[in-house]
Amino acid sequence: MAAVTDEGSAVAGVGSLRVRTAPASARPGDEPLTLGPDSGHRLEPAGPGRALLLEAGGGQTSQPARTPVLLGALRRPRASGPRLVEVVVDGWRFEVEVEPESRAALRERGSRDRRVGTHGGAAELRAIIPGRVVAVSVAPGDPVSAGQQLLVVEAMKMQNEVRAPIAGVVERLAVAEGQTIELGDILAVIGQDQ
Amino acid sequence: MTRRRGPGGRASLRKDAPPGPPFRRVLVANRGEIAVRIIRACRELGVESVAVYSDADAGAAHVRLADVAVRLGPAPAAESYLRGDAIVHAALATGAEAVHPGYGFLAERATFARAVEDAGLVFIGPSSGAIAALGDKLAARRLALAAGVPVVPGTLDPVAVERPDAVEPILQEADGIGFPILVKAAAGGGGRGMRRVARREDLPAALAAGAAESLAAFGDGSVYLEREVRPARHVEVQLLGDDAGTIVALGERDCSIQRRHQKLVEESPAPGLTEAERLELHELAVRVARAAGLRNAATAEFLVDEARKPWFLEVNARLQVEHGVTELITGLDLVAEQLRIAAGAPLSPAVLAAAARAGRPERHAIEVRLSAEDPARDFAPAPGRIGRWTMPAGPGVRVDSAVEAGERVPPDYDPLIAKVLVEAADRGAAIDRLRRALDEVAVGGIQTTLPFHRFVARHQGFAAGDLSIDWVAEQWHGEADRQRVLRSALVAAGLASRDGVVEALDPPAGAPAAAPGPGRGAETDRPPGWLRGGRETAVDRWPR
Repeated sequence: MAAVTDEGSAVAGVGSLRVRTAPASARPGDEPLTLGPDSGHRLEPAGPGRALLLEAGGGQTSQPARTPVLLGALRRPRASGPRLVEVVVDGWRFEVEVEPESRAALRERGSRDRRVGTHGGAAELRAIIPGRVVAVSVAPGDPVSAGQQLLVVEAMKMQNEVRAPIAGVVERLAVAEGQTIELGDILAVIGQDQ
Repeated sequence: MTRRRGPGGRASLRKDAPPGPPFRRVLVANRGEIAVRIIRACRELGVESVAVYSDADAGAAHVRLADVAVRLGPAPAAESYLRGDAIVHAALATGAEAVHPGYGFLAERATFARAVEDAGLVFIGPSSGAIAALGDKLAARRLALAAGVPVVPGTLDPVAVERPDAVEPILQEADGIGFPILVKAAAGGGGRGMRRVARREDLPAALAAGAAESLAAFGDGSVYLEREVRPARHVEVQLLGDDAGTIVALGERDCSIQRRHQKLVEESPAPGLTEAERLELHELAVRVARAAGLRNAATAEFLVDEARKPWFLEVNARLQVEHGVTELITGLDLVAEQLRIAAGAPLSPAVLAAAARAGRPERHAIEVRLSAEDPARDFAPAPGRIGRWTMPAGPGVRVDSAVEAGERVPPDYDPLIAKVLVEAADRGAAIDRLRRALDEVAVGGIQTTLPFHRFVARHQGFAAGDLSIDWVAEQWHGEADRQRVLRSALVAAGLASRDGVVEALDPPAGAPAAAPGPGRGAETDRPPGWLRGGRETAVDRWPR
């Protein structure tokens, strides 16, 4: 398993790569990409942090499509996890995870196995914008209906209601009034009605 | 009203005295790009500037550029930039003679303007009386109507929401106005307290909801009814007035491209208007301003319907975000003019000359508001730490900003981070220039509205001047535009990793972690980890 433990060679060299939007950037509908060793695509450097992406078959003629991209490195959350790369194309910013296809497959099998043991149906609510909790309308143990307001989060002059995605019971309330929250923080867990 | 005049005040502006600075020292009661904009004007006029700041802005550009800086309090606006008492105190303590409120925050709070006046300081803007009269949207509607200016059909008094027996008369009045109808807050702004009602039976509930929201937001639950003018363009007129009561219009701006009542793109002149239509609009605006006793800078907003008929909406009694568009086509410095007017000077010859030319504009200017927002998620705020920051330059390009690489965009305030303005001989050339300028923009670390602006600059309907306040809802499909480039982004990230470029990309040791958990990446500290010396690494390693 040298490819997994040896960070330097974990992704460099030959072999297919699994590339996907990282959780911070991911949206429903984002498809991961498997990049083979002979994809026919090429990066042409264009100054610090800049490159031109030449995509074979991307253009309308036989000429490859040429797309300016910005590239940056991000510190990965776990040293053993996938590489985290920042890419900006046409103003769209993506945090992208890159890892060898073989390791991605291994990890996916592992996480599928783990999921079997968890209780089904609980909905975890995470912050989709950083801000401040200005109101908490429920307490742990409260029954809630789908669409019921749980919290109000203020961010950049706007008040955003956080609503229950499913009917159930407030299993956990992870924030309090006045608390500052960051993108991705757990706000509440709603357990499904039995 | 007492007005303290500094050594460079009214006396020095007499014809026999050499023109000195309008004030010795001015406090700028704002933050971000507008605070920097005002401080720049002060510096050029030889006026010392005093910045105020919250803890979130201790190292911000406006603090660095000002001559003096005073801390107001913690990050939340209510504990800092909205503390009128602390700001007046800071002005007195630092020996400032005048206060410029910028836009937003306290700019249109009559009580703040009055507190500044009562402290013996000059408020750089309309008088507190005029702000109060125009801040009440219903009072402004009555005032415009009395001045013979067409207002959007609707009610002129607050509708009684709380009395059940009043419902039937309200419904009858609404029938007379016609559906769809808008419920609006008398104290309103920014779309808060506003409800669109398409069906008669939904009106009572909308009135109650609008009143409740308005009460929560403004401390005043008064609402009124207005017919929905659709389709419509948003066209506004820049006004300047002096103490002697001279009021002029400095051309109009089309700000139709907006969402949730926040403007995204502004331009001047408004495309497609004839000279006669332009001049009529200017005349209507001046008439409202005169009726309100307006002085200094303000903007009268209109909806222009399909038949190109203007309907008065409201007056914003302050400098606006998009004032730079007017500056580019008139050659004026509106902030400098504001300072001179506030010091008691009459409208300058340059202002009068620009006003005389306003019917026949010879240049075209466009502004786009670059904000820390995600245009694929309905422009939701996306604060965070800026990585790369490259702004455009070159002929006909102006950038008003207050941030730089490595700086954090705090979640506490408006997400506007830069205004990119272009100016050219005509609209077509201005759009070409905008496209070019936006190609030069490179921002990392945070998501911005750049994809949306690139889309606008390439849109045929926009190029044809086919504008409407529903433009964004009808034309912009953010997630589809994002998906269009997602594959390229993934391929680029994969190639950069595989070809070993990622070693050069790795952030320096000891840099703070980027993404400690799912979803946190955009918000946490971000090293300036852009590829250094990437070319050498890449040239060595990549197959050609």
